[in-house]
Amino acid sequence: MASTSAETSHPVVFTTQTAYPLPSQKFMIPTSWKRYQLSQLVNKALSLPKPLPFDFLVRGEILRGTLAEWCAEKGIGEEETLEIEYFESVMPPQKMSTLPHEDWVSSVSCQLPGYLFTASYDGTIRTFDYSQKLLHSAAIHTAPTTSICLVPLSSSSKHFIASASHDLTARLTTLSLPSDSSKPVESQTVTSLHLHTAPLASISANASGSHLLTASWDGLIGVWDTSIPASDEVPADEPAERKKRRRVEDDASRPKRKAPLSVLKSHTARVSKAVFGRGEGAAQEAYSCGFDSTIRVWDVENGVCTQTIAASSKPFLDLALTPAGTSALACATDRTVSQYDFRTAATNISASAASLLHPATPSCVAVPPPSGAEHQLLTGAYDGIVRLWDLRSTKSAVTSFRVWEGSEKKGKKVLSVDWARGVVGVGGEGGVEIWRVGEGGRMFLGN
Amino acid sequence: MGAAELNKKSKKRKAADEAPAPVPFPEDVGLDMHSEDEGGDEAEADDEDDGEADEFPEIDTRSDSEGEDGSAGDEEEDESEDEEDEEESEADTEDDDLRIYPKPKTVISDITGQPKRVYPEIEPDYDSDSSTEDTPNRVGNIPMHWYDDLPHLGYDINGKKVLRAARGDELDKFLETVEDPSAWTSAFDKNIQMDKPLTEEELDLIRRLQENENPDAGYNPYEPTVEWFTGKGKEEVMPLSAAPEPKRRWVPSKWEKQKVMKIVRAIRQGRIIPNKPKTASSQPQSYAIWNDEPSNVPAPLPAPKPRLPTNAESYNPPEEYLPTEEERKQWEETDKEDRERDFMPQKYGALRLVPAYDQFIQERFSRQLDLYLAPRVQRVKLQIDPNSLIPKLPSPSSLKPFPVYKSLQVSHDGHRVRALSVSPDGAWAVSGDENGNVGLWEVMVGKEVKRWKFQGKVGAVEWCPRTDVSFFVVGIEEQLHFIIPPNLSTPILLATQTLLAPATLPPAPATPSPVKWVSTAAAASSSDSPILTLHLPPSSGLPKQVVWHRKGDYLSTVSSGEGQGGVWIHQISRRHSQAPFRKVKGSIQLVLFHPTKPHFFVATQRYVRMYNLAEQKLLKTLMPGIRWISCMDVHPSGDHLIVGGYDRKLCWFDLELSDKPYKILRYHTRALRSVHFHPTYPLFASSSDDGSIQVFHARVYNDLMTNPLIVPLKILRGHNIKDGLGVLQVRWCPRQPWLVSAGADGEVAVWCS
Repeated sequence: MASTSAETSHPVVFTTQTAYPLPSQKFMIPTSWKRYQLSQLVNKALSLPKPLPFDFLVRGEILRGTLAEWCAEKGIGEEETLEIEYFESVMPPQKMSTLPHEDWVSSVSCQLPGYLFTASYDGTIRTFDYSQKLLHSAAIHTAPTTSICLVPLSSSSKHFIASASHDLTARLTTLSLPSDSSKPVESQTVTSLHLHTAPLASISANASGSHLLTASWDGLIGVWDTSIPASDEVPADEPAERKKRRRVEDDASRPKRKAPLSVLKSHTARVSKAVFGRGEGAAQEAYSCGFDSTIRVWDVENGVCTQTIAASSKPFLDLALTPAGTSALACATDRTVSQYDFRTAATNISASAASLLHPATPSCVAVPPPSGAEHQLLTGAYDGIVRLWDLRSTKSAVTSFRVWEGSEKKGKKVLSVDWARGVVGVGGEGGVEIWRVGEGGRMFLGN
Repeated sequence: MGAAELNKKSKKRKAADEAPAPVPFPEDVGLDMHSEDEGGDEAEADDEDDGEADEFPEIDTRSDSEGEDGSAGDEEEDESEDEEDEEESEADTEDDDLRIYPKPKTVISDITGQPKRVYPEIEPDYDSDSSTEDTPNRVGNIPMHWYDDLPHLGYDINGKKVLRAARGDELDKFLETVEDPSAWTSAFDKNIQMDKPLTEEELDLIRRLQENENPDAGYNPYEPTVEWFTGKGKEEVMPLSAAPEPKRRWVPSKWEKQKVMKIVRAIRQGRIIPNKPKTASSQPQSYAIWNDEPSNVPAPLPAPKPRLPTNAESYNPPEEYLPTEEERKQWEETDKEDRERDFMPQKYGALRLVPAYDQFIQERFSRQLDLYLAPRVQRVKLQIDPNSLIPKLPSPSSLKPFPVYKSLQVSHDGHRVRALSVSPDGAWAVSGDENGNVGLWEVMVGKEVKRWKFQGKVGAVEWCPRTDVSFFVVGIEEQLHFIIPPNLSTPILLATQTLLAPATLPPAPATPSPVKWVSTAAAASSSDSPILTLHLPPSSGLPKQVVWHRKGDYLSTVSSGEGQGGVWIHQISRRHSQAPFRKVKGSIQLVLFHPTKPHFFVATQRYVRMYNLAEQKLLKTLMPGIRWISCMDVHPSGDHLIVGGYDRKLCWFDLELSDKPYKILRYHTRALRSVHFHPTYPLFASSSDDGSIQVFHARVYNDLMTNPLIVPLKILRGHNIKDGLGVLQVRWCPRQPWLVSAGADGEVAVWCS
């Protein structure tokens, strides 16, 4: 590709990790080119049958403007050879379906392929399949449910769902999803987790499904296993009259009261999220964030806090670990989503690798499954917009979409996003919406 | 003395001249014209010199040695000489013998027969005029010291150097005077730098000047009178007119007489005072010129200086100053008054090509007009940097965190929300609107989890500040409802139920109160309905305000109703209500408990009174200067109070300092509705009917010497004004720098940092 004589050009070498490599030769690229021209160049050079949009990474940053602007910003001379990596662009998100709810949806889980679990403020956990059909609705909690997670236990037809609620308990529910859609879906609450004295904020399970973590407003984090106790481990401290009435009900079907394995205490204010670590070495690690503007790393086995990242006046609302598991993404009420690297944070206390600015309070953050693009994340905010970010370009979101559009001029709050296999479930004030977000046309649709 | 000597010398010389003159000079000798240089009279001159030479040392020694004694002798001699002179002048009036001019011969004219003087002929050749030949130096009349350092004195007429004659030292000079008989009649000539004998004319001039005679030798003071017009036959007989002399020439003037008589009469009548009597005022007066006050008329101001010309005004400006075609066009199109400059730069190759300036008269005229019409007033310019007047306040960004944006909003369906309270742990908020709805919602999510419906307006909602129990009070018309929120942990729920609906009622107070305490049984209670209800006295109206004491046992209510039953203090543990004031002056607007001391603030329309409840006496009256107090809050330390009024003012009181406000802030454009101190952060907020909330940093120092630091931080806008009402209530979240605000537009907003 020869450059036109009128324009200045820059020597460039293209690399890629996708299945569309270019020959490793030096190209002279006009500096006025943007992503579109570069993408056309790659497509023409490879003579792809179907044009594929590509994005370009220059030294770890996504190219947003022209090449000349980037060089001027970085102060890079014309002779220096740039190595540009390209990858398939993120397709614009597509709305798949809307699942209306009567009440606000506080949490969405789409970890189980083909199904969608939602927790609502009316205390009900609903199960949908991808055809927008309400399969099941179980009123598990009497108070608003705040969080739901699918416990990945190896069972084909019986699934465990953990839910946390304002009624100070978390519950573990079994859900039988028969392959035959004519049979009804059955659910049974098997146990209730009793520790907290304030509403629970979140519940999460580890990768093997053996343990649960609950975070509560009282500043405690409970560690639980998922075994179902045979009898009550915690005495019922309810008034006598209630107990009598409860006894009138079926005593056998009553969920057993379960006590935590251990309690992690260090947070001085509400804990908003607690998750298990990802990866092999981090299975026994837990990460939590709270309103005391700290992110803490816990050794679950010993129940001690091993590392604390203290930010200044950033009450954190949600936390997610990057797929590599080495850094955390945390939403704070100062309208930022910050990335904290635990490796550097050991030496530098306020190490925030990246800070993504939002126009409204970001309430939730989700990262793709481990096989997905490791630099991407989704954030939902109170202005009703879900944004897709790339950590390599923190200035603005890669793409964004507004959920529950047209309902009101003011956006409805997004309270939860979950992202698995190209499917994004968005829960919030207006119910649930399912969007398709994928990379380069390869959609991880449910199989 | 030198002059006298010279005088004497000249006298001697004169005497010496005189002595031989009558004797040896026959008339034929006089034919020789003498100058002393000529050698004609050498013998004679030698004689004279000899005589002089003999005499000179005598004079010299006398003058040196004798001094004053000698002077008497001199005088005598002088007198005698003078006498001789007189005799001589009498004898010979013409005194021709002294003349150095060519002496005339007196011969008898052949024609007239009268004696006449005949002068010798002058030969008109070069030698005849000796006046120029002895001045070879032609440098002119210049200061001769210019040649002091040079070997020559100047240049002669041919341009040759005139060399300086060798001059001896002082001894040579003396010897010269001794040897040279003409030394005493010679003088130093600067032009040739040597002594030169004085000529006869010069000596004669000197003599005449000494004797106070006319220096001109030819002047005769005694010339005979020549009668030109008088005398016989020389009378004037040529009158211009033959008319006889008129009478008026010799008769006194009648008109003059009349004028004089007029003056005389005026003098007589005293109209004219001929000589004013000399008074003290006519004396020359001296006075102290600094005694008077200095004039305060300002000194005339100098005219403002016209602007100096710049490069553009040059006749040959650089190219970049020349206007382009568009600029020139634009300049021509604009009005004269609107032009940026009143000329157009033009370029001329040379100054002589510059035409006459056509605007000269016009420009001078306008300049004069400016000077004439412009009132020139001396302005006393204050040398104050305007930035120095701004108080040194820290930057708001350094005082983070404080609320900056609206995070979420909870709607009350357009009903005015007047009551708002945040739970002590900062997790829940309760808001009550005028439709009777009370909503309980999460502060951070904004989801209403429970709603109660009451009859009538909700006037006040307040959480109990205790953390071991959890309930809040809702004030509606003549009733106070105590409500337990849902989802409490069992110990807290039990404690709350026990507190509000005890199994055994405390003993009834001695004096029965008109307030009835009605509670439902703890077992039957739920969060749906109030567990305890206080029935305030009838016609007490809507409780406008409910305040808790910090410890959560006492609460006070202010009702809007008329009469005395406005203020009540209720004690939960004793289930007893009392009215603290029997008689109240003015209508009570607000009450407040002191956070640490048993003090009680009561705000009437204009004053805030501070009572000690334990001693039951008035401590002080604070005068905010507000016409109608609308809101009030006390700092968590208890030493400071802020009071807001409907007249837009917010007063900060330092209770230790004064009864007057320490600072009055008037930043809102409409009436203030609510003020609140943050319990832990150094923040307070004020809300107003202008729809804005203002957040202030208020740092209070433990040190009594340091004044509180109040810094305006942020104006939060986002509430709509409805029916002239803006933000009715603001409350801080206890543990976070977050603000919850309730507006008349039915929205409750949470502002996050």
